[in-house]
Amino acid sequence: MNQEELNNRLSEIEDRLEAIEQPADNRIWLTCDAENSYAVNKFLFEEVPLRFVIATGIDSDDCFEVLYHYAYDQTGSIITLKTKIHDRENPAIESIAPFLPGAEWIEREIHDILGIEFKNHPDMRRLILSDDWPEGVYPLRKDTDLEAVKPGNGETPSRPGFKPSPPKGAGQTVSPILAVGPFHPLQEEMEFFQLTVDGEIVTDIDVRLSYNHRGVEKISESLQFDQIPFLVSRICGICSATHPLAYVQAVEELAGITPPERALYVRTIITELERIHSHLLWVGLAGHFIGYDTVFMWAWKYREPVLDLLEEITGNRNNYGNVKVGGCREDIPNELIPKILKELDQIEKKTEMLTKAVLDDPVLHARLKGVGILSKEDAIKYAVTGPTARGSGVAIDVRRDDPYAAYADLDWNVITQTEGDVFAKAVVRLLETFESIKIVRQALKKLPEGPVAVEVKEIPPGETVGHVEAPRGETFHYVRSDGGNRPVRHKVRAPSYVNVPSFKASCIGGHIADVTITLAAVDPCYSCTERLAVIDNNNKVIHDYDTLLRLSREKTAQIKKELGAPELKMEDI
Amino acid sequence: MSWKIWSLKKSPWVFHVNTGACNNCDIEIVNLLTPKFDVERFGIKLVGSPRHADALLVTGVVTRQAAPRLQEVYRQTAKPCVVFAIGACACDKGIFTTGYHVVGPVDKIIREVDPNAIIAYVPGCPPKPEAIISGVVKALSVL
Ligand code: SF4
Repeated sequence: MNQEELNNRLSEIEDRLEAIEQPADNRIWLTCDAENSYAVNKFLFEEVPLRFVIATGIDSDDCFEVLYHYAYDQTGSIITLKTKIHDRENPAIESIAPFLPGAEWIEREIHDILGIEFKNHPDMRRLILSDDWPEGVYPLRKDTDLEAVKPGNGETPSRPGFKPSPPKGAGQTVSPILAVGPFHPLQEEMEFFQLTVDGEIVTDIDVRLSYNHRGVEKISESLQFDQIPFLVSRICGICSATHPLAYVQAVEELAGITPPERALYVRTIITELERIHSHLLWVGLAGHFIGYDTVFMWAWKYREPVLDLLEEITGNRNNYGNVKVGGCREDIPNELIPKILKELDQIEKKTEMLTKAVLDDPVLHARLKGVGILSKEDAIKYAVTGPTARGSGVAIDVRRDDPYAAYADLDWNVITQTEGDVFAKAVVRLLETFESIKIVRQALKKLPEGPVAVEVKEIPPGETVGHVEAPRGETFHYVRSDGGNRPVRHKVRAPSYVNVPSFKASCIGGHIADVTITLAAVDPCYSCTERLAVIDNNNKVIHDYDTLLRLSREKTAQIKKELGAPELKMEDI
Repeated sequence: MSWKIWSLKKSPWVFHVNTGACNNCDIEIVNLLTPKFDVERFGIKLVGSPRHADALLVTGVVTRQAAPRLQEVYRQTAKPCVVFAIGACACDKGIFTTGYHVVGPVDKIIREVDPNAIIAYVPGCPPKPEAIISGVVKALSVL
């Protein structure tokens, strides 16, 4: 479908809509009644069909609003459906999760922060607020007194965030539970997973968020437009170029600002350098999980020069803080270009070596192929993005579909694989690293002369969206301004938010020795495998994290033996 | 110097606790193990259980959900145990100070369970790996 056909398709439901606005060709805003929201959403998701991005809940004084954001990737369009709920006492709306599992989390989140009831939602447990957060206090409502809910101020018992463990001595019918988290002995963020297992087979998986919930969206409402890039770059350290970029692009779109050419190139270069070091980081971690510690050490060693380059350009190894509304803060000095090109040659050589080691290794083929498969249908149902989607044959990439920065001027390919298993995702990431190197090289060659920023006076009232392709998938920001110097609502959706729930499709039915690598395959921001414990019927821990890691590594060793593969030696590489 | 402190200073084993960080501090900590920095040559080792740890490397703002877990992890360590607050977030909540779900910083939460805890601070956002090494060395040399 081209843009016109899409518009025609959307006008089929005109009679259920109150308004259709189209400020730009590929930005469409629909408005409908809360009563019609279920039917319209179903039409958008199943009939058109669009890709679900996220929903935003807003407290706008006289009513609550729920915004459903969709994307149509062929034309790079973002379609937002706005609904209003006028009953402030008992706000409620029909849930769309029954036909759209990718919306399950966000509806739970909106319920947590705004207290909107989603009728017929399959599972309304708490998602992002802590276990001891008082019931009935909604932090994103404008009239909530957040001082009053500080810990120790009249706490009330609250909904449980995860399924309780089976009662002691509950008999043979209760399935053993495998608890994952919240702390990981090696690295990264806290996360809590509960796997129900039957023997060695995973039969259910449940996730508890909240450990890392810092309330960024609320903090953002208290900052000025030009301070926010610093905040959002600290949402996730390893997407610290893409979050601010998505936000900045959204604001620039609203204010009608076009940054200078050179700034667009600098942005491209920095985002791609970030992708290189992020993908290398993942390769290392994946190696660690299946017992290839050498791969871990090498991959992390080879990402160091990239961090050094970024430090030289922006002044910091991570959290670059380099984009701002209207352009970039730091330019890439022309004298640095030969050095970057030289480093890139080195990085390319090393990545080639790593890729060859992975693709030619019969053990890795045997260990990773057919493991943790996410089918194309599931990938669409869960609305996953990035390498997780591309590894399952869904060829979407914001850089190509809705080109931003300088991507449209450069020559590169979107990498896809059709198998959907861990191996396919690894291949996608490795090959993408080469594309990134290619992009940086071209961008450096074409780097136009000139300033890197224009002056910005004020941000007009209105609402806007922006999205970019982060290493893990599409990062999406929604900003609403009332013409003041702070946003009245700022919604952030990181790619892992939609990628992580797809575990339900990829882990269930799998072997527990494959859990660590399957969870790691989507490259979740918190590299998920944290501390694991398998608990049997009597709540006795029978496996802990180390055991699971060992199981995973033993399986690799077993395959190695079966294949008669020699131990990897230094000289081979 | 008591023998306990003396023994602590040789080859400290550390346990890493993330209490709501953006990941960068955590990645820089893991970076310490990799070939470029390789702190294992000083006997510093990342261990998988707080019960084996001489020091905790704590990152992040301490979210409301993480606070009791951090206290539990600290409780499980053998004392004396040095707590390192790594990064601006852990030192003083950094850019997230006003967050409604943030109850830190780290020293406040730890002191609730142990008023005499030994706490060292490594600022930076994120601190460079060199800074973390230097922070650990400095802290150990004044103990
Ligand atoms: S101090 Fe900075 S780098 Fe470290 S966790 Fe906080 S925001 Fe991230």
